[in-house]
Amino acid sequence: MFSYFQILRQYLSPVAGRAGLLGLCLLAATGLQLYIPQIIRTFIDLAAAKGDPDRLTRLALTYLGLAVMNQLLSALATYLSADVGWAATNALRGDLFEHALRLDMRFHKDRTPGEMIERIDGDVTSVSNFFSQFVVRVSAAVLLTVGVLVLLWREEWRVGLALTIFTGVAIKLLHWRRETAIGPTRDERESSAQLFGFIEERLNGLDDIRANGAGPYVMHRYLIVQRHWYLKSLVAWWARSAIWLTMGVLFASGFVLTLGLGIALHQAGAVTLGTVYLFFNYMAMLEAPLDQITQQLQEFQKAAAGLRRVREMLEFKRDVTEGDRSMPASTDGLRVEFDNVRFSYEGSQEVLKGISFKLEPGETLGVLGRTGSGKTTLIRLLFRLYDATDGRVLMNGVDLRETRVRELRQRVGLVTQDVQLFHGSGRENLTFFDSSICEERVKQVAGSLGIDPWMDAPLTAGGAGLSGGESQLLAFARVFLKDPGLVILDEPSSRLDPATEKMLTRAVERLLENRTGIIIAHRLQTVERVDKILVLADGRIVEFGRREELARDPESRYSKLVAMSAGAQGHGIDESMERLGGE
Amino acid sequence: MTTWQYMRRLVSWQRREFIWNCLAWGAFHLIPLSNGLIVRGIFNSLSGSAAVGWNAWTFLTILACSYAARQGTFLVAFRLFSRYYLTAHAFIRRNLLGHLMLAAGSRVLPESPSEAVSRFRDDVNDVVAYAESWIDFSGFVLYGACSVAVLAWIDPMIAAVVCTPLLVMSVVMRRLSPVIRSYRRRMREATSRVTDSIGEAFAAVQAIKAAGREDSMTAHFRSLGEERRRRALADVLLTEMIRGVNSGLVNVGIGLMLTMAAGRIRSGEFSVGDLAIFIQLLPRVTNVLTFIGGDVLAQHRRVRVATERMEHLMVDAPPGKLVEHAPLDLTGPEPVFAPMAREGEWLETMRVSGLSYRYPGDGTAGVEDVSFELRRGDFVVVTGRIGSGKTTLLRVLQGLVPRAAGEIEWNGRAVEDPATFFTPPHSSYTSQAPRLFSESLRDNVMLGAGGEDELERAMDLAAMTPDVAGFEHGLDTLLGTRGVKLSGGQVQRASAARMFARGADLLIFDDLSSALDVATERQLWESLGRSREATCLVVSHRRPALLRATKILLLSEGRLIAEGTLDELLRTQPEMRRLWDAEAEEA
Repeated sequence: MFSYFQILRQYLSPVAGRAGLLGLCLLAATGLQLYIPQIIRTFIDLAAAKGDPDRLTRLALTYLGLAVMNQLLSALATYLSADVGWAATNALRGDLFEHALRLDMRFHKDRTPGEMIERIDGDVTSVSNFFSQFVVRVSAAVLLTVGVLVLLWREEWRVGLALTIFTGVAIKLLHWRRETAIGPTRDERESSAQLFGFIEERLNGLDDIRANGAGPYVMHRYLIVQRHWYLKSLVAWWARSAIWLTMGVLFASGFVLTLGLGIALHQAGAVTLGTVYLFFNYMAMLEAPLDQITQQLQEFQKAAAGLRRVREMLEFKRDVTEGDRSMPASTDGLRVEFDNVRFSYEGSQEVLKGISFKLEPGETLGVLGRTGSGKTTLIRLLFRLYDATDGRVLMNGVDLRETRVRELRQRVGLVTQDVQLFHGSGRENLTFFDSSICEERVKQVAGSLGIDPWMDAPLTAGGAGLSGGESQLLAFARVFLKDPGLVILDEPSSRLDPATEKMLTRAVERLLENRTGIIIAHRLQTVERVDKILVLADGRIVEFGRREELARDPESRYSKLVAMSAGAQGHGIDESMERLGGE
Repeated sequence: MTTWQYMRRLVSWQRREFIWNCLAWGAFHLIPLSNGLIVRGIFNSLSGSAAVGWNAWTFLTILACSYAARQGTFLVAFRLFSRYYLTAHAFIRRNLLGHLMLAAGSRVLPESPSEAVSRFRDDVNDVVAYAESWIDFSGFVLYGACSVAVLAWIDPMIAAVVCTPLLVMSVVMRRLSPVIRSYRRRMREATSRVTDSIGEAFAAVQAIKAAGREDSMTAHFRSLGEERRRRALADVLLTEMIRGVNSGLVNVGIGLMLTMAAGRIRSGEFSVGDLAIFIQLLPRVTNVLTFIGGDVLAQHRRVRVATERMEHLMVDAPPGKLVEHAPLDLTGPEPVFAPMAREGEWLETMRVSGLSYRYPGDGTAGVEDVSFELRRGDFVVVTGRIGSGKTTLLRVLQGLVPRAAGEIEWNGRAVEDPATFFTPPHSSYTSQAPRLFSESLRDNVMLGAGGEDELERAMDLAAMTPDVAGFEHGLDTLLGTRGVKLSGGQVQRASAARMFARGADLLIFDDLSSALDVATERQLWESLGRSREATCLVVSHRRPALLRATKILLLSEGRLIAEGTLDELLRTQPEMRRLWDAEAEEA
């Protein structure tokens, strides 16, 4: 509980002014609500005693004025609570977003984007509900309930006692009723998720179903899923109706009790008629807050779970630590060196088993290897998406672990096979929404790649409107924009149309000018242009050398690969790799 | 169909239940009126101005009974309603899905499946919520009318003065409700931009890290959040204003009542009980007016939009399909699936002539004037570059998309509706990106057909048996989100097994190469050739398939440019040579 309020305090303090104002509003509104019934009481008693008509009119007008003021205050309170709630939780969302983005790939490895939406928006929203619903509404409700009870005690202790007991019983009963509805409601949600999941899956596979004549069977299965949903929903609805029924019976008893006491006391001459009406009025005022309090007790549990997950994520630490060394500048690319590098992902087998090689500035290296040979891990180490478990990766002689992460990533450019796009214009996709990048530079880069027509066009995350080759060009543009000393290129393995392919080839050539390059190659043509070849198998280097030399040696894996791929057996590099790997 | 017709058809489907609901809820809504009158009786008898001779205790006893009656009514009404409401949901959803799954003709979803799901959820909800309003309507109106009548009976002058502003309000509400909705819609849009941006960013987290752009991405995310906050506040402000004016008017009404009553109470024309009943009934009359003036009318319009959207999803459904009466089997014994044995006609020859397909929208040709013939036992391969129309040809042939022109003949007889005809036992199909469902592997392959032997044979044929041996639960392994995730190749082979298990005459394969390696593909063709007499129509550019082909159809830009054996085409067609050679270099 303590730690929850710590987070609340941290994010509320920047909006402390508005939060204080909100508290004042709530206090004032509660005071008014408690006071207004008193006016009516006075009015009734005065009228029954045939008192001064001017005073009666004045009372009526006072009522009018206070009621309107109360309305304004409660509207202001709602507005302020939304404002404060959004400001605080948006700040929390932003911090979580940034924190999560900066976390290691170890964190992201087995978390889907959908899960991240739930963690960053879903959990925080439940926290925001905690704030605006629980803190604001419940405190208002508690304030009002306590106020009503105190006033009743002051007025007539017997009525005060009766309604205090009533309130206690009501809270206990309603809370218990709501608790028993939790399970069925959860089942209902689950069965409804199942139902819509069923529908979405079947719509996705509509062609498969229809062309294989499975429509009647799918409908049969659907009816069974729907039956399940129907029964679960019915149970949940009835469980929830028990809450309303309990509430109805409770408050009916409350009204009868209050009026009965009022009648008896009035007939005994202990209270005036106006006071009987006051009791009745206060009893009516208890209904809404008691409902609120018991309802929010449940919400609180949900919010607590959300807040716990938020804290967990904020406490997640990075493994990749910030260094303080800069890499010496160079105009002709970075020197890259792997010095007996070993790497294993948390708790699993070694993926890299002692890799050592050197790449001079400006050289291009082609990396070949089967799936799972460690190619991707090799690249990840160069960006410090992970740090080597053992050994060193050096750039221009500096151990990467001693570098500043941000600076390092500015000096290394990456083009992956899959290019993810964001919902935004081409320009925003190119700059990652960084508006500080000089417009001239963006124009120049986009122009040189022939993608300037898309700069103002809206793109979507699915990449609608862009072909695979075109989104590759965008990825190239991202790299050109940062002008790195080392370029890493994971060549697309699927076939592209010839025109795009030509464009890409030209772009690759330009990208590698005066830069060191590492290419994960899937095509013979590409490999034919590199300076050095590195063949990986099962986390080890099985061959490394200058391409020409390897090509001259008929026993080298590279020359065998070339022979196999060029032959008429219908295999590409990747397939040939598979075969060579088996030998 | 108009909204009225839709709603009438909907409520006529469970007419008896609907009427019972109306009666029960009518009673439930009316009882508070009598409570008001009883409380008035109590105060009047306490102040000595009661007309009838009952004392306060008698009134209190009646009040207790009235409360008990109301809760009893609630119990009955709620049971009636929950059944009715859930059944109505189930009813519309069944009709919607049934049309998409079973209706004749081509079935292309005009929107993405996830958008289509919201038709099943949100739009169905809108329609049923409107039916709920119909149930409440009579009780509410009766309650409103009686309340106003009672108030007028007590004091016509005060009642008139007090109720007029409420009427004005209900008209204003009617004007404002579209504004509220537009505010709410903008708020929802801003919210989905926020959640989308989270999803996109974390889908691309590696790229963002590699680019070192965490800062600018976070700044962008924060700006989207700020936008959402502004929209949310605008929405809150408007709603609060309206609510404020609404209950403000009630208070103004009570204030006016007090002012006017001040004189009359003294003279005994107006009693304390009258005061109590006015204060009790006024807020409720307002609720009734807002319900009728704003909510119901808005709902009516919303149902119009919802039914239009559902009709759009069903494309060519006959009017009223959505509310067509059909059994639901929601209760009673669980239905058992009885596969319908369909009579088929053994394939001898299939002739396709002049088949064309045009993309919706711009009308460009996907497939243009393709003609070919296929005989029993043939292995016909459709090949061509990416985008040459191979997949489209298979889909238009099977009626999965509507043809623009052309004839298909099966043993010399014209096929009228390819969508219903090209199903087992005539043909079965594996699409390019086949889908499996979150069910057991067995269920996914069988889809309700055949027996254990056929399943085993189909799995063997699809080279799936070794994979199954590797699963802990074998054929009963649960797939999908809550079960095992299969690799791309496994999915493709499982759906090939699904196709084999249908026992169809003509097997139609779309490109298997994206997930099967060459060796597995070759193995599949070979075992297929050995095990059964099959006629195959296959899209492929792979050599094992091309080498097996009895005939190759070479497509380019949607047209059939040549057909023949591999040797013939390699001799005469440069395009064929190019594809053949590309295959050698391809990865």
